[in-house]
Amino acid sequence: MRSGRSAFRANRLLLAGMLLVCLLAPEVALSQQGAFDLDGKPANPFDAASGKIVVLVFIRRDCPVSSRYAPVIQQISAQHERDASFWLVFPDKAETPQTIHNYLREYAYRLPALRDPEHALVKLAQVQITPEVAVFNRSHQLLYDGRIDNWYRDLGRSRPAPTTHELADAIQAALGDKIPAAHQVRGVGCYISDLE
Amino acid sequence: MNSSLQTLTWSLSLIAATGAMGAGFAKSHGLSTSVFSTSRSATADSPVTFTRDIAPIIFHSCSSCHHPGEAGPFPLLTYSDVKKHARQISDVTQARTMPPWLPEPQKLKFADELRLPNEQIDLIQRWVAQGAVEGDSADLPPQPKFTQDWRLGTPDLILTAQKPLILPPEGTDTYWNFIFRLPIEQTRWMKAIEIHPGDKRYVHHANILVDRSASSRQREAEPGAGFGGMEIRIESQVFDPDSHLLFWKPGTVPYLEPDGMALRLDKGTDLILNTHMQPSGKPEIIQPSIGLYFTPQPATKLPMLLQLEDDVKLDIPPGQRDFQITDQFVLPVDVDLLAIYPHAHYLGKDIQASATLPDGSKKMLIHIPLWNLSWQAVYRYAEPVFLPKGTTVALSYVYDNSADNPLNPNHPPVRVRAGNRSSDEMCHLWLQVLPIHYDAAQGDPRMLLQEALARHNIEKDPSDFEAHYNLAAMLQAASKLDDAMREYEAALRLRPNDAAANNAMGAALLASGQPGKAVAYLSQALTTRPDYFPARYNLGNALAAQDDFAGAAEQFRLALQLQPDDADAEANLGSALAEMGRFSEAKGHFEHALQLNPNHALARENLQALQRATSQ
Repeated sequence: MRSGRSAFRANRLLLAGMLLVCLLAPEVALSQQGAFDLDGKPANPFDAASGKIVVLVFIRRDCPVSSRYAPVIQQISAQHERDASFWLVFPDKAETPQTIHNYLREYAYRLPALRDPEHALVKLAQVQITPEVAVFNRSHQLLYDGRIDNWYRDLGRSRPAPTTHELADAIQAALGDKIPAAHQVRGVGCYISDLE
Repeated sequence: MNSSLQTLTWSLSLIAATGAMGAGFAKSHGLSTSVFSTSRSATADSPVTFTRDIAPIIFHSCSSCHHPGEAGPFPLLTYSDVKKHARQISDVTQARTMPPWLPEPQKLKFADELRLPNEQIDLIQRWVAQGAVEGDSADLPPQPKFTQDWRLGTPDLILTAQKPLILPPEGTDTYWNFIFRLPIEQTRWMKAIEIHPGDKRYVHHANILVDRSASSRQREAEPGAGFGGMEIRIESQVFDPDSHLLFWKPGTVPYLEPDGMALRLDKGTDLILNTHMQPSGKPEIIQPSIGLYFTPQPATKLPMLLQLEDDVKLDIPPGQRDFQITDQFVLPVDVDLLAIYPHAHYLGKDIQASATLPDGSKKMLIHIPLWNLSWQAVYRYAEPVFLPKGTTVALSYVYDNSADNPLNPNHPPVRVRAGNRSSDEMCHLWLQVLPIHYDAAQGDPRMLLQEALARHNIEKDPSDFEAHYNLAAMLQAASKLDDAMREYEAALRLRPNDAAANNAMGAALLASGQPGKAVAYLSQALTTRPDYFPARYNLGNALAAQDDFAGAAEQFRLALQLQPDDADAEANLGSALAEMGRFSEAKGHFEHALQLNPNHALARENLQALQRATSQ
């Protein structure tokens, strides 16, 4: 088990590195396949990260679990304002900058948002569900992807409060240049693949 | 002059510690869509399409909640809506999380069952596995139509909560009670109610409790503010047991009570809407309203809510996965069982209730193998279930207080006992029963039920204050005053300062001709609750019975400050003043009593006596 996991990790990091190259590729490639900011311009969340770790948070407006996490996401991002670059990523191609603006205002978000209509960031981050997060270290290698915590056990049952905190743990590990204890724990919510 | 004093006493009170009452509401969106088209449905190996195979299931079982303005967080009305959640739908239907329907299939059928047949679940699985294709648009059944308005037409009375609740964006579940003060001047009979609980996406369920004594108002910081709390206690001053389960959950639509089963609403009655909400991630404004539909036909059938509970046995060690509670109650009269409403909190796991008839045959009344407080509901039977006298109703609840129970409010688990907080537990089962085949000359059969239930509860737990109190009230109603006083004394040994019990004991002493002893109890009730009208009124009567008319008049005046429109207190104040020779003042009070109630016999009689006395 242990050795199997080590091999998998190396593979994942390599994959992240390879995709990173893709992201840093010429702008024309990004405009076709990459993410966009709310002005409609191609955007690369790693460009502006300069020395910070990067956290991508994938959410859907029509996913109530995503919405219920808004205060949690903002608390964690506020705690790491200086050393982590947080982005909200909307993988639903039907979303417009305006609908996203409205949503951010409604939920009092103070985080930058990206549209990811072709799921370039979804693939890079290896996420499958909203809400899920991806944590990249300062070298922009993927350290963790999956749930924020274990608040939800399944769509019918949520705990009064979470008892594990995978996102917070992964951020701590990334800041300390360590490998987090968990590298992938699937979330509970809405399938991103349903949007394809 | 010989002016008689009214000896009407406010004595019979019942206390129901009640969590949530509710009414089974029918789901009747009027869809006539058949779930499978007979000739062209998907066979085991043919492709499954949305338009032909899936849309009928969705329209029938999902869209009634999943459309704008309803509880579902996203619409499910079109192919595009459903495709965007296809795998999710496949998961939640397979897990039977959706549609929300907790009971297992059983012989006794419930009205409006929401349970998907296995074949439909399999079809959804195959549709998603095959790529969730749309299919031929010609196969698509018509989209169901829904109204955002009152479903039974314009209500006779619409009330909106005075003050909205601002639901915080985060935190644990919120329980809030809104008080609706009924602006009615005379008794009305309610044949239906529609509850609009506020934003339905965030209100998980809501119950209405009928408060006939305005006892909940004391819990509001200011009138109309509402108050927090999951379980509330309603006092009743007369034997007037709860009779209806007035309940809302997502998907509920209102229904008309059968003929003769309207709910009585009097002037001064409050309806308490007990709501359970979940934070959404942003602040939400929750301002419920209710629509009432009246009928001129008074109730001729009087159902009753039997509350079986066994909270005293609830003492669940931390870590225990299968803590079981059982209880049996033997019905003292023939009844028709109309609806059932089980209630536990977050540790509840497996919930069962059954009935063993005198002939030994057994009926499963309900079995919920995986309890979920968030989807609690009232279940109405499709047909009334006849349970003859001598039937044993048994409940069996299993609780999971281990760390593996994701809903466990304590991490790590701690010892949990019964209580009103959501982190406490409950073991309650409400049965809405309609007594049948009884001899009215033998008395109200609901009193026999109440008495049997109280005796049963005392047997289980001699320290059950409410059981002693309720038993005493039933004995008093049956004119067994000595037995009643013994039970009131038992209740008062448990709670010496309780206002209701002291008042009831005082009233019983007064009725048995012991006004001197009554004064002590009534005074204690007023020490505990100076604004307790019944005790104030009864104390006036007790003092008058000892010829202390000045003291009596003072108490009636204080009582009238609490309830200025009470004709009985006015008439009695007049009587006390007349006894003191203050005829002109007395006359004014008799006249006022008659203004309040033109049929007040005692006020009229005394006024005439007064006129005769002053004309002599």
